[in-house]
Amino acid sequence: MKPAAISMTLLFAAFAASTVTEQQLREAQSDSATWLTYGKNYLGWRYSELAEINTRTISRLAPRWIHQTGASGSHETTPLVFAGRMFLTGPSNNAWALDLLTGKEVWHYHKAPPAGLSMCCGEQNRGFAALDDKLFKVNIEATLVALDARSGTVLWERPMADYKKGYTATGAPLIVKNKVIAGMAGAEFGTRGFIDAYDASTGERVWRFNTIPAKGEPGVETWAGDSWQHGGGSTWVTGTYDPELNLIYWTTANPGPGMDGDVRAGDNLYTNSLVALEADTGKLKWYFQFTPHDTHDWDAVEDPVLIDIVRQGRKVKAVVQANRNGFFYALDRTNGQFLFASPYTKITWATGIDANGRPIVVPGMDPTETGTKVCPGLGGGHTWHPTSYSPQTQLFYFNSADGCQLFYRNKQEFHEGQWYQASTEAAIPSEPPTGTVLAMDPTSGNPRWRFEMVSPSPGGMLSTAGGLVFTGDGEGYLIALDANTGKPLWHFQTGGEIIAPPITYSLNGKQQIAIAAGTSIVTFALTP
Amino acid sequence: MRISLTAACTGRYSLRLQHRWIALIVTSAACFAQTSQNPLAGDPNAAAGGGAAFRPYCTPCHGIRGEGGRGPDLTRGVYSAGDKDSDLFNVIANGVPGTDMAAFADQFREEDIWRIVAFVRSLARHDMAPMAGDRAAGEKLFWGKGGCSACHVVNGKGGRLGPELSRIGRERSLAFLRESVLTPSADVQPEFATITAVKRDGTKIVGIGSLDNFTVQITDAAGNYYSFERSDLASSTRELKSLMPDEYGRSLTAAEIDGLLAYLVSLRGVEAAR
Repeated sequence: MKPAAISMTLLFAAFAASTVTEQQLREAQSDSATWLTYGKNYLGWRYSELAEINTRTISRLAPRWIHQTGASGSHETTPLVFAGRMFLTGPSNNAWALDLLTGKEVWHYHKAPPAGLSMCCGEQNRGFAALDDKLFKVNIEATLVALDARSGTVLWERPMADYKKGYTATGAPLIVKNKVIAGMAGAEFGTRGFIDAYDASTGERVWRFNTIPAKGEPGVETWAGDSWQHGGGSTWVTGTYDPELNLIYWTTANPGPGMDGDVRAGDNLYTNSLVALEADTGKLKWYFQFTPHDTHDWDAVEDPVLIDIVRQGRKVKAVVQANRNGFFYALDRTNGQFLFASPYTKITWATGIDANGRPIVVPGMDPTETGTKVCPGLGGGHTWHPTSYSPQTQLFYFNSADGCQLFYRNKQEFHEGQWYQASTEAAIPSEPPTGTVLAMDPTSGNPRWRFEMVSPSPGGMLSTAGGLVFTGDGEGYLIALDANTGKPLWHFQTGGEIIAPPITYSLNGKQQIAIAAGTSIVTFALTP
Repeated sequence: MRISLTAACTGRYSLRLQHRWIALIVTSAACFAQTSQNPLAGDPNAAAGGGAAFRPYCTPCHGIRGEGGRGPDLTRGVYSAGDKDSDLFNVIANGVPGTDMAAFADQFREEDIWRIVAFVRSLARHDMAPMAGDRAAGEKLFWGKGGCSACHVVNGKGGRLGPELSRIGRERSLAFLRESVLTPSADVQPEFATITAVKRDGTKIVGIGSLDNFTVQITDAAGNYYSFERSDLASSTRELKSLMPDEYGRSLTAAEIDGLLAYLVSLRGVEAAR
């Protein structure tokens, strides 16, 4: 073979290895060496078949390399791993490809965010999606950008909405067939939420589902007057997908203004809801609203995880969620029918959930000018931090903040692009909250075990066939728990607050763990 | 009423840490008043509008009537950051570094901040009686019989187990200081919570420090520093309870307490250059 032909062959081989196909995404669970999509698989399990690191070997787990990104701000990314590289996003429109062996930077993407952004929660980003030879991410100013996975070169960038009106974007996109599904943020600024689908090749928008119905559309009757125009319902956490049903499951956030419900009488559809959308059209198949007429900022953006459970002797295609309002829910994902709900933390705002899935609300729990004590507090319960389901233990793992807060409200006029929550909240100094990692039996809603923590943990979850659950905490510990018992087996102080979820993959046949901690990415493997 | 060009603001954005339990409002905005007088000073509705915003955002620290608490008493008509309207604007907009006063430049428009300034002005009572206590006696008590200086620093001198008090008169209301002297555990900052470690041999170590899911660090009253893996201990706990004795209400006379409070209120720190 001539040298030129050899180099062309190598180039082709490198190119082929840099691609992710739709079929690979559908079969992502069976490819343990990689991490190809936000939730590990379309169902959102964050479970790996890798078992080299297990309850017996965990004591030999040690750091392998650390990459310091140099970007300040909250690192919440779920890295993708394929083709010998790790692809991760960071705050303030940064992204990197790292060499999987060494952590060395292969390329760095950066676009300076525009001045004058209106944001509730910083310039963080939660990750890439990948298809073919492209990577997709949102930028904070509510654009969707496609990068060449080999070089980080921008292939196209499309505006999703006008950031000057308070729209931003932070979540990892989801690839479904040839579409890039992406959500937005900004419910705190009187925006109107949506979920978008874009053609992965051209960047053209294929469909949009507005999470707040407009005048003349079903559901607008749940908004007093014209309050739907500033109704919030943002979509800032990645959804899941059932290829058999061809349905996308995506969650929605709080109504606007967050804590003054008087100006938006009604249930305020489709805020604080799970919507099931037909993947090809974005048409609403069904919805389920967890917290109608929310006044406590309890976004329903927690992972909608797709598992099959047995109820009354019948196998049900379910979607489960640990909702921020303090209840764990199971729904039939074919039709949205409510199956059951159970409290997983202290709840004072409702006495339970009725047979139709509607909360039985305790009167007098709305925010007031002088403050109303409500449990859970503003952060939940559980909030957006990624959850995990292990088919090995058949348990669902998530973190919970356990405590109460004071909720205040005031009257506030709407001004485009400006803060529109009409509210604030405060801790109760004498009642510091604690935290828990829960292992939930998703067929019953009963916790199997709890790992108590001194404070609420912002880390996400990973479960593995090694019988382990990995998570991080706010003090910087990466922690491994026995997936069956919750017993802590290993911990490592990373030196930076952990807000991101751990992932796992293999390199040269050896299992690795990776986590964003502080402003670094830290990887781990077993020592001999 | 829309006001133009009364403040210069840059880098406006806020960070609400929703992943943390306490939804802190942290901001990098800088927003400074360009006029020393409140442009809404003649607007009779301004104070009422400011009061509506004051209640949810400010009362957790300053009290429902501005009487103070963890934050300063605003009814005294004397403000630690300066007495001009623009000083109040700048404090509300940008916060006070090194204190609990957060920045609100991204929560409120400029005119709303001026309305809050108008409301704060309306709270001021100018008929307040001077402090009843004997400041000099209080100072002597603080550094002597009261034993306060064993744990509190004032202007570089004193112990380190309790909060520094060099400018406590600016930061806390009189009522809050009284409560802190008489019932120290009523409102304890987390960094001054009581940490207790019991070793397997029964030795108990008590102090302040930190306790996480796996380790504990303690500085005791003698200044000794300890650090343990919690799994190596018989027990380790953190209580939101002050190490300060709660007996001053009994061991000191009313006049002595008034004197001590007069001394604490007088601690204003070094004037920041403005």
